[in-house]
Amino acid sequence: MSIVLVGLNHKTAPVEVRERLAFTDEACAEGLVSLVDGEVISEGLIVSTCNRVEVLAATAGATGGAEGAMRISQFLSASRCLPQNFFGEHLYTHADDAAVRHVFRVASSLDSMVVGEPQVLGQVRRAYTMAVSVGTAGRVLHRLMHHALHVAKRVRAETGIAASAVSISFTAVELGRKIFGSLKGCTVLLLGAGEMAELAAQHLAGAGAARVIVTNRTAETARMLAATFGGEAADFSTLPEQLAQADIVICSTGAADYVVTPQMAQAALEARRNRPAFFIDISVPRNVDPAVGALDNLFVFDVDDLEAVVASNIREREREAERAELIVESEVMQFQQSLRSLDIGPTVGALRQKLLDIAHAELERQRARLGPLTPEQERAVEALLISTVNKISHPLITRMRRSHETGGEENMQAWRDIFGLEE
Amino acid sequence: MRPLLIAALAAYVVAAIHIILAFINKRRAVERVAFVSLAAGFAAHTTTLVLDWAQAGHYPLFGLRETLSFLAWTLVIAYGWALVRYHTKSLGTLTLPLVVGLLMWSALARESETLTAGTVTGGVAAWLFPVHTTLLLFAYAAFFVVFAASVMYLWQERELKLKTFSAFFHRLPSLSTVDDIGSTAAGIGFTLLSLGIITGVIWSSTRSGRLWHNDPKEVFAVLTWLLYLTMIHYRAQWRGRKAAWAGVAGFALVVFTFLGTRLMGGYHVFG
Repeated sequence: MSIVLVGLNHKTAPVEVRERLAFTDEACAEGLVSLVDGEVISEGLIVSTCNRVEVLAATAGATGGAEGAMRISQFLSASRCLPQNFFGEHLYTHADDAAVRHVFRVASSLDSMVVGEPQVLGQVRRAYTMAVSVGTAGRVLHRLMHHALHVAKRVRAETGIAASAVSISFTAVELGRKIFGSLKGCTVLLLGAGEMAELAAQHLAGAGAARVIVTNRTAETARMLAATFGGEAADFSTLPEQLAQADIVICSTGAADYVVTPQMAQAALEARRNRPAFFIDISVPRNVDPAVGALDNLFVFDVDDLEAVVASNIREREREAERAELIVESEVMQFQQSLRSLDIGPTVGALRQKLLDIAHAELERQRARLGPLTPEQERAVEALLISTVNKISHPLITRMRRSHETGGEENMQAWRDIFGLEE
Repeated sequence: MRPLLIAALAAYVVAAIHIILAFINKRRAVERVAFVSLAAGFAAHTTTLVLDWAQAGHYPLFGLRETLSFLAWTLVIAYGWALVRYHTKSLGTLTLPLVVGLLMWSALARESETLTAGTVTGGVAAWLFPVHTTLLLFAYAAFFVVFAASVMYLWQERELKLKTFSAFFHRLPSLSTVDDIGSTAAGIGFTLLSLGIITGVIWSSTRSGRLWHNDPKEVFAVLTWLLYLTMIHYRAQWRGRKAAWAGVAGFALVVFTFLGTRLMGGYHVFG
């Protein structure tokens, strides 16, 4: 048995190739059934997203990784009705340890375009669910996928790979969380209009902000924007009152001068009894006087500040990705070990069953001489048989495990031959 | 109960090291080790205190050695409170090393021989004395939590203002959380401090008829009390940075009241 992965992703193939190879859900279900023939491929799974198409498979019996990869490549060509040379040069093939490592890296979002993005884990989980529902996931893939989900969880929990935002609007949300804890119950004031400001307001509302107030020099624009956020429109002349209510202010007006002055901010702060406020100034030229940022409990971030945070977050993710790779590496080793114990499982079971069968057969032969037994005696005899079998098989299993770790499948065959076991 | 105290100390050392490692590395497994050893240390520590009480026959809060050990114990409880209420594991990076330090000091401290429990526990309202000291030590622990929360506030506030974030920025609780911890702990600490001062005055008056001895510890306790009163009263105006600085200053006064006044001598001999 060998684990094989064949596929292509955003790094190796242009979108023209990826889109032709992509699988819809139905195609995926049909494809899996035709791929898993039981002769070369015993288990299969397809991950198909806009950034990658990958086929993960376990080969049957003694079939090696190279043969499995060839079969998968043929399968891709046949099921997508494409000549192999159309995508051949973009394909990568991983076998065994390398395949396991690749699956772990994909699930942990280390192989993604934006490292640490959370969607890929859901896509991997969906691919697995699909394979389970059409019955092409067996004991190897079950174990591998469960392990992959565990690794992804561990990477997320133990590294900062997805901890910090890498877009301006999410950075705004994150800074808001840093200041207010939860954004639930926060009031957002959108001052002016603009794509980036609207996006930020949307993310803040999505993160649980309770109220969105929109104000604009043009009342009509304010009303329209308010309608899209389910917020309320306010007259531009009431800006000072709105500032006093708002925890988060997003500024994006076309004004050539400062719209929010230190005096206004100071007055708002007093009206809010010094509760902190967060100003996000996305407009150029700036709308919020930089002097506002010097006031206690007021935090002002302009476009450059936010971009600097994004840049440092990206660097932070790259640093954390290195730590994540170490986690993946140690998990690959653990997985290999658990796979080995999986391999000896059936042989161990067969050995114990055989010994128990012999013991029971002998008991039946002698039963007539024992005469009638009370239920208590019956249980005692049964316990005696089982403990005898356990005592005999225990050292054997220990040896078996050790020889399997050193010699693998061939040694297991020798064990089966000695005891005349059929798997 | 020496061996048990050493065991508690060892467990706290393990917990302190692991909570710092977990803060740096964000490893769950490391964090688990920290909490398990903290719980073990706390259990051993509590047992030590109970056994001490049973064996020595007096409340285990007398003399420098016992006071330091008891203070460490109240700090662990204060940390436990913050953990349960706010899930602020990072507070442990400041609290647990202090717990270790206090307990180590307690283990090494020599008891001055002239002091015996009988000298102060006699009198009509003898039971008031342990109440007085216990309340105050819990107040100190609460003020330490205020201090730790204030430090976290000031650190993060500075980074937000400068717009450059260190690697640990993301590991700390949000500004509003640390502000909340600080003000809640200040309220609790202030209540305990007030009750502690009142019980002290009553105890002293039943014993010697004097309410006030004019010794440094009393003066500084009242100063501390006034500072926290101001801080709580001006909560709205001082919210944020100023309150955090008040928390730091208040704790400096507490430390001085606790230790500094020992150097000046007076009616309060220890603790």
